[in-house]
Amino acid sequence: MADLAVNLAGIKMENPVMSASGTFGSGVEYDSVFDIGMMGALVTTGLTLESKVGNRPPRLCETPAGLLNAVGLQNPGVDVFIKDVLPEMLDFGVPVIANIAGSTKDEFVEIAEKFSGTGVAGLEINISCPNVKTGGMALGTAPEVAAQVVGSVVESTDLPVIVKLTPNVTNIVELARAVAAAGADALSLINTLLGMVIDVEQRKPMLGNVVGGLSGPAIRPVAVRAVWQVAQAVKIPIIGMGGICTGRDALEFILAGASAVAVGSAFFNDPLAAVRIIKELDEYCGEHGVDRLQDLVGAVWK
Amino acid sequence: MNGPGEFICRVSRQVSLGTNYYLIELEAPVLAQTVSPGQFAMLCCGEGFDPFLRRPLSIHQVNKHLGLVSFLYKVRGKGMSWLSRRQSGDQVSLLGPLGRGFNCSKPGSKGLLVGAGVGVAPLLFLASELVDRGWELFILMGGRSESGILRPDTFMEYGEVKIATEDGTSGIQGSILELLADELEKSSFDRLFSCGPVAVLKGVQGMSKEKGIPAELSLDEWMACGVGACMGCVCQSADGSYLRVCREGPVFEAGEVVLSG
Ligand SMILES: Cc1cc2nc3c(=O)[nH]c(=O)nc-3n(C[C@H](O)[C@H](O)[C@H](O)COP(=O)(O)OP(=O)(O)OC[C@H]3O[C@@H](n4cnc5c(N)ncnc54)[C@H](O)[C@@H]3O)c2cc1C
Ligand SMILES: Cc1cc2nc3c(=O)[nH]c(=O)nc-3n(C[C@H](O)[C@H](O)[C@H](O)COP(=O)(O)O)c2cc1C
Ligand code: FES
Repeated sequence: MADLAVNLAGIKMENPVMSASGTFGSGVEYDSVFDIGMMGALVTTGLTLESKVGNRPPRLCETPAGLLNAVGLQNPGVDVFIKDVLPEMLDFGVPVIANIAGSTKDEFVEIAEKFSGTGVAGLEINISCPNVKTGGMALGTAPEVAAQVVGSVVESTDLPVIVKLTPNVTNIVELARAVAAAGADALSLINTLLGMVIDVEQRKPMLGNVVGGLSGPAIRPVAVRAVWQVAQAVKIPIIGMGGICTGRDALEFILAGASAVAVGSAFFNDPLAAVRIIKELDEYCGEHGVDRLQDLVGAVWK
Repeated sequence: MNGPGEFICRVSRQVSLGTNYYLIELEAPVLAQTVSPGQFAMLCCGEGFDPFLRRPLSIHQVNKHLGLVSFLYKVRGKGMSWLSRRQSGDQVSLLGPLGRGFNCSKPGSKGLLVGAGVGVAPLLFLASELVDRGWELFILMGGRSESGILRPDTFMEYGEVKIATEDGTSGIQGSILELLADELEKSSFDRLFSCGPVAVLKGVQGMSKEKGIPAELSLDEWMACGVGACMGCVCQSADGSYLRVCREGPVFEAGEVVLSG
């Protein structure tokens, strides 16, 4: 068995495979399907200050090698989450990272403060959701605005702060540099790509929200490219995601410069995807004489 | 309640039921023991990652003794077409049992099943469980034409069957909702159970309210995870919030949901 462990900005994980926000619920939904305790870390669904009903249906549409979603951050709000859901997640015994989605800078700070002392291992700042009208991507496309949000959250918490970036920008490197300079401890790349599907019979958009976020294997090359570019420009660790379905997919991200990876849409295709990916990473290491998986991080450019 | 599991199942039988309709029977002993009527499974309907999403199918029939579970389905697109090409001995992966099914724990009384098109799929398993619990059943089946009336002879084993087709090739010519209105005029029922296109469910919902007869409706929505994790499959609840069809449903009390379309 190769050493798959990773210490990501102080978050200690036994292996680099995490769940991607919004795709895995609280993990409890999959509890009877596989042993959740073997995941590297769990990331919560996007959490807002108040509860959010989300967008009107239809919220999903299958696309070639992926899907389009416009859930719109349906969640019970941070207080209910901390009281009712978080304890169950912490019971799995793996680090839990809270994905937080404020609609303003002050809201981000307020949510971040609520997580102090709750047992979460870190915060993932979601300034990249394409499916909400305020906050989300609107705060995450201009480097100065993003840096202000990140700077304020970093000041208000002792927890490691991971910033999740949107690929829907002209220059993701510039954005990454700005949030790194503002004190981010790590980056998550990438959130979904803004997309649209039209029903030609009805002559109407397929999604209730009209547009949505594209995920799955269809976006993987875009995500690998983003990780490769950003990893060479910043010193902080990166969590890579976007269409990871196999161990080899995960390795592309690691070789491009990601220290950890997240599995999202792949759970919909194969509920056992994470288990399989961890096994395949170990097999790859065995076959290629790799003792520590972390030695491969950024190997294509280092 | 037992949580869902991932199973690789051997196909024991694939039967064509005329144009575009199939019955597939799988060896799934654990599922056969744990599933209840109205629940469903997410079936992997392709090799590799195409199509990317699994397909939700209701449990059609269960043989607990032999450990068999079958699904009745209509070929619409890629996924169901792939499934229809599986032969006995092939393997199919599925996740199940999923969702909240019909409430059939109530002691025996008089029930009316309303199934339109392939919407009859979950009603056969339901019928067998209800009859086991001493219910007296009446069954309405609707479709465009005779070829869309699926397994009427099997349904007849559980109760009196009445059929409506749009072209009159079987049963009365007209809509299943006319048949329903007629039936509710003539006799009284303790509960309605329905599955089918949203127009039919809306009709059932309306008449259930008008007559004060409780009804349970099985809803259809696009799904990704099937387990309640992604919030992708919602329908609107009576209080304006959104309910997950895969978790709080797919079967809802008629008064719980607002149907669109
Ligand atoms: C809980 C549940 C239980 C179901 N049980 C059955 C069953 O027992 N038998 C059966 O035949 N079908 C059932 N369905 C519907 C079935 O899942 C779809 O017909 C199937 O996914 C179509 O897949 P496909 O790849 O063949 O078609 P696709 O290529 O995916 O689609 C073909 C066409 O059908 C439409 N479509 C596909 N899936 C859905 C959907 N879920 N809702 C609305 N429109 C859709 C698409 O928009 C497209 O126009 C059920 C659905 C749900 C949610
Ligand atoms: C249904 C769905 C819901 C999502 N919800 C969130 C969310 O709440 N917060 C977030 O930061 N990202 C969210 N995402 C984005 C994923 O976490 C991930 O960044 C993206 O889907 C790419 O990875 P994948 O291709 O492996 O799914 C969501 C994605 C999907 C498909
Ligand atoms: S399909 Fe994911 S919540 Fe229902």
